[in-house]
Amino acid sequence: MRRIVARVAAGLACLLAQAAAAAPALPPPYAGAYQPQGVDEIGLWREMDEDEQRLASSSLVIRDEKLTRYLTKILCDTVGADRCNSARIYVVREPTVNASMAPNGTMRIFSGILLRFQNEAQLGAVLGHEFGHFEGRHSLVHFKSRRQGTDLLAWAAVLASLAPSYDVRRSYQDLKLSVYGNLYRFGRDQEREADALGISYLNRSQFPPQAGSQFWQNIMAEFEASARARGLKKPNFERIAFTASHPPHGERAATLAKLALPDAAARDAGADRYRAALAPWLPLFLEDQIKLNDFGASDYLIQSLAQSDWTAPLWFARGELYRSRGAQRDLVNAAEFYAQAIAADGSMADAYRGLGLSLVKTGRRSEGAQALRTYLEKKPGASDASMILMMLPKEGTGN
Amino acid sequence: MTAKTRIMAVAMIATGLLSLASPSLAHKLHEKGAAVAVANAPLWVTPSRDWNQLSGRIGKYAETWTLDGGQLNDVTFYGGIPAGESLVRERSKKHDPLPKFTAETLLIEVPELVERTYRAFKGIGTFSLISTDPAPFLGKDGVRFTYEYTDDDELTRKGEARAAIIGGKLYMMTFDAPRLNYFGKTIADYRALADSATLR
Repeated sequence: MRRIVARVAAGLACLLAQAAAAAPALPPPYAGAYQPQGVDEIGLWREMDEDEQRLASSSLVIRDEKLTRYLTKILCDTVGADRCNSARIYVVREPTVNASMAPNGTMRIFSGILLRFQNEAQLGAVLGHEFGHFEGRHSLVHFKSRRQGTDLLAWAAVLASLAPSYDVRRSYQDLKLSVYGNLYRFGRDQEREADALGISYLNRSQFPPQAGSQFWQNIMAEFEASARARGLKKPNFERIAFTASHPPHGERAATLAKLALPDAAARDAGADRYRAALAPWLPLFLEDQIKLNDFGASDYLIQSLAQSDWTAPLWFARGELYRSRGAQRDLVNAAEFYAQAIAADGSMADAYRGLGLSLVKTGRRSEGAQALRTYLEKKPGASDASMILMMLPKEGTGN
Repeated sequence: MTAKTRIMAVAMIATGLLSLASPSLAHKLHEKGAAVAVANAPLWVTPSRDWNQLSGRIGKYAETWTLDGGQLNDVTFYGGIPAGESLVRERSKKHDPLPKFTAETLLIEVPELVERTYRAFKGIGTFSLISTDPAPFLGKDGVRFTYEYTDDDELTRKGEARAAIIGGKLYMMTFDAPRLNYFGKTIADYRALADSATLR
């Protein structure tokens, strides 16, 4: 009986594999006005179309034509003008390191990841990776592989129940683990494929492909800084968990570095252009980051953004970050950072507020009160004006 | 035993098991006019209409009441949060810590503390403080602030809160409801409840 079960299971696996191999070649999904082919792809696209309709009216989407146009341009510069028109970019205000591309061409870029790019080339590396998923129809292939895997398990369960012995039960459990393990590994292999496709776009583009590896190096350094500030042990960037959706960061950084054209390292990465494009949004994205209560990561990010130049918004953000942690030494540092922000841009009212509160809390009450007065002068309609006014000593009382 | 009766027997046993577990999960009704202590603290309120207390606690010092359900109107009492504690329970003290109320926290920083707690707990970027004004709470100097945020259900909610720091502990009442319909409809009930709050 057991042998029959094994044979039938093997036969089923063969059939499933053949079905997958026999699929006819389709045009690439970016070709012209491509329409989904076959029941699975049509269904998937319909779901994604509904999803995109919700996204288009979502209050979390940042509707800035200039920014979206800029991101689209970088995508086109990376993957080529013939392909990029199949993507529609949405910037979502969420402070997480993420981007995605759905099979129907919906590309989501989260505000948290925009804060972490140092130049256009790094942005291009991530956009190219996501476009790679789209070009390789990864969602569809992953869906089919999940269906095949779970089909196999369902049939194996039926067959195993025909021979309810201890060994059959154990074999079924082994099969289950191996199918699930394979599904997760399949997903990671898709990520590897998308990484390879992404870097091949960069190699052919005007950008230095080394940026891909650099981006992951920065992410690892940020994770380390975050763990250090929280007193946790150093994260392991080589370990692959059973259910991991992506290959580990260390492996990605190493592979991307290997795949990058060595001669292309001297190309212009477009750091200045990227900074200029993001400048209007930088203060808001920084605020979203520092209020997440991840001191180590936020401080690392601010310092890496300030590598080329310490601007007023960066000093201010650092002041806010240190004041929010709130130890006495943090408050002394915060006051210094706010002062630097004011020195760089004297019109920054909120820096006076932070400075005033930090000084008051470190016992420098009269200086603090002076800074708070300046805050109210510069921003008379401030939402907390009456509260600040209450904190100020009355004129002439001397307290 | 036929197949049908067997299924019914299994269903009855399952229902029995479920009902054994349910009493500990019960919500509670607070009736109009009856003074009641909330959030395990000497914080007393006298409701001006019937309110439901939700059984789940978001923190050691917190208690949540609602009229139509936690997603539609949520009044949370924070009863005397001592220095060094977060407003709500942390998912992981090590990996996902929340901002803490400290002995140095100023009254004007309480709205920021609430903002940072909401942002870190929900992982959102859209939270804005709308107003911060001095207003007495529990008979002491306090702060009243309003805010607005959108979390992952993409429903924009408005909030209003009152807080005071008494004896080094933070006492606060927050009201969160969807901007659409529910906030305006039930804000008066929350304000009446907040006005009735006393520390005994």
